Amino acid sequence: MSIYVLGISAQFHDAAAVLVRDGEIVAAAAEERFSRVKHDSGLPFRAARWCLAHEGITVGDLAHVVFHEKPLRKFERLLITQIQTFPKSIDAFRRTAFAWFPDKLWVRSSLAKGLKIDARKVIFSDHHLSHAASSFYTSPFSESAVLTVDGVGEWASTVLFDATEKGIERLAEVHFPHSIGLVYSAFTAYLGFQVNDGEAKVMGLASYGEPRYTDEVRRVLRSRGKDGFDVDLSYVTYHYSATKSFSSKLETLFGPARAPEGKLDVTTPEGRKYADIAASLQVVTEDAVVELANTLYERTGRENLCLAGGVALNSVINARLTTRTPFKRVFVHPAPGDDGCAAGAALWAYHEVEGGKRGPALTRPGLGASWSHEEIGKLLSDLETPKDELADEDTVIARAVDDLVEGKAVGWFHGRFEWGPRSLGHRSILADPRQPGMNDRINKKIKFREQFRPFAPAVLAGHESNYFELAPGTELLTPWMLGVTPVKEEAKSLLPATTHVDGSSRVQVVTENANPLFHRLLGAFGKATGHPVLLNTSFNLKGEPIVSSPLQALRTFYSSELDVLYLGRFRLPNTAIGRHFYA
Amino acid sequence: MLDQSNPAAALRFVSWIVWKIPSRRPMKMAGFSHTEAGSSLDMMDAAEEATRPDLRKKFFRHALDEFRHARLFSERARALSAGAQVADVLEDSEYAASHGIRGETSLYKSLGETEFLAFVWMHERQGAKQFDIYSDLMKHDPPSSAMFAEICRDEEFHVEYSKRELDRIETAGRKPEVDKAVRRLRIRGAREAFLRMSHGFGNMMAGIWLLAVYVLVFGPVTFLARKSAQVGGFIATPGSLARARAEAGVQG
Repeated sequence: MSIYVLGISAQFHDAAAVLVRDGEIVAAAAEERFSRVKHDSGLPFRAARWCLAHEGITVGDLAHVVFHEKPLRKFERLLITQIQTFPKSIDAFRRTAFAWFPDKLWVRSSLAKGLKIDARKVIFSDHHLSHAASSFYTSPFSESAVLTVDGVGEWASTVLFDATEKGIERLAEVHFPHSIGLVYSAFTAYLGFQVNDGEAKVMGLASYGEPRYTDEVRRVLRSRGKDGFDVDLSYVTYHYSATKSFSSKLETLFGPARAPEGKLDVTTPEGRKYADIAASLQVVTEDAVVELANTLYERTGRENLCLAGGVALNSVINARLTTRTPFKRVFVHPAPGDDGCAAGAALWAYHEVEGGKRGPALTRPGLGASWSHEEIGKLLSDLETPKDELADEDTVIARAVDDLVEGKAVGWFHGRFEWGPRSLGHRSILADPRQPGMNDRINKKIKFREQFRPFAPAVLAGHESNYFELAPGTELLTPWMLGVTPVKEEAKSLLPATTHVDGSSRVQVVTENANPLFHRLLGAFGKATGHPVLLNTSFNLKGEPIVSSPLQALRTFYSSELDVLYLGRFRLPNTAIGRHFYA
Repeated sequence: MLDQSNPAAALRFVSWIVWKIPSRRPMKMAGFSHTEAGSSLDMMDAAEEATRPDLRKKFFRHALDEFRHARLFSERARALSAGAQVADVLEDSEYAASHGIRGETSLYKSLGETEFLAFVWMHERQGAKQFDIYSDLMKHDPPSSAMFAEICRDEEFHVEYSKRELDRIETAGRKPEVDKAVRRLRIRGAREAFLRMSHGFGNMMAGIWLLAVYVLVFGPVTFLARKSAQVGGFIATPGSLARARAEAGVQG
């Protein structure tokens, strides 16, 4: 009989539910995909119910429901920090009390009630242990060093682990308020972006700048060599303020903060300065993570490194770890942020509480919901949407290649939606990367986002070395689009729409096993053009979760200037009649 | 439920006060942007869950309209102010959840078809009236006035189709069902207004108590607590493997 464990992460941001069967993830979804509230933090009942329904089981079949962290320990940290920072923490204390007393303190009973399960079946992992388990138990490694770096969990912000067949052993940790993730977020706010959402924008912006301010950033985030790091707390306020994360002293050091979400033009001296600060932050953060990884190597002597936590979304750092440390291979779970904690909590409980046999490594991104051809057909008929029903997948591939070669921006909706924050060919916007200006068009007219945001290329497996200078040991990052790599000099002019200003790309290498249809599309596009590479970006508009259902795909399609949408075997043109069909 | 109980003059007067202060306008529009986005999600749920094809199509068109309105309000709010406050509201991804726009169950499912249609009719009628007045009040700001007029035209379509659907239900001999739905919505509206007021009062009282706790309990021990402040650098964690397993059942 199978052992089922349901993992839950919630209450900060990116709530998710993940169902593990005999050590293998069989269903995984962030709550935002169902609620449509970006970074939804509420208990993920919609996602949890979908996971159970997908597998055709009930809560009675679950061995455990595992919450990703210890809520009382987190509450303890909040109260102690607020006592320490009295009287500046008055507003944070009020917010904490309003959020925790009526709601967050009662996770066990809320989960038991919401899922209609015996409260004794609800158990608790630890935040960083969940992160570590998400990465190690989905990696192909039997033993590995594990580094988790994020904002903060209960008390820890950074943890070094040693993972073997016996389990995941915690070696050392750095405690809040000393946090690489929170310093990065404080700079994110200083640079005018939203915390917990704009960090990727800072990373994109960094490529436009020169690291002229590294000495200044190092005054905030200070290395302690083999003893980790600390933060000069006079530059930050996140430990006592719920609304602001940097102090006026940071503005004295770097100049006035940028107006939130104001227009940012990197060609002006002011914009250039912010880009330089972002570049400096990137260098200092990378150095700090590399130093932690080197310390971890010295302590464990392992050849493999698993990485998790929000900082592992920094794809530039991930790809440099094998060249700047002695580790031979690096793996990052496809959802390294807090959503991934749901996977880690379930995998930890299966392996270390239930004593289950090691499950297989994760190789496919499509772990979410899917819709059948009939269901999509019924929807399109009900809505009287103009469409072509294509005979088979060969026709889908042929028509899509024609559209892409013609320079159209294509909405691509096939199979189960992806686990994690990246679109990897199931819910994607695709375009021909050879066309200059395609990135500007998609940023401006389709996704309505900042001009400096780069787009990633997806390349057919086996052809990546023709275009990209992949560092050895990073091959486990590329299926999940989690490593930034230099584009070969001769390929830069071939792929202008996916080559970032600094000559890099966050490449996705697509294997047949990971996504057969997308693999075929890339192959066919390669045959037609000589280059099996596509621009691949998430199928959403700025500030929205990635689409999950066909109806959401249609709404996004008709609310943007996408040229054509492939919904399974249906092809929908966004012609004048289509775009104004509902107007 | 202002559509029935509030005379247009009162609504106009209240609106005049609201829109009189220029600095409030962008904030008000940022709030509208979220409200319209929330309505768009409600209509998307309805379009997902409705079984009648023609109704699904109307709900979907309605969802597209609401989404476009959200974008119009957002763009206008940004055009009127580059202030941090407006950006904070617009970029607040938790706004919908924290303002109770979305629940765990869809509005369509929780109300049922007839009550949902009555809800759409009443709220869109109210919205159409409001936006018509706003368009008039904002004549000194032509882009805002034109935006409200454009949105008002869409709202009129929403009023028209939802009314037509309610009429169809009445004609099918289910008039009591429609009357009951409207009654229930009015009671619900009054109850929600009461709850909002109670919630505000409760928050104020709780805030006073919390302030007292903060000053009287936290204040005296803050110096002791500061001595145990985290200093940074690594902390060793011996025996963690067994401890994590042993403590799986506890929350702290």
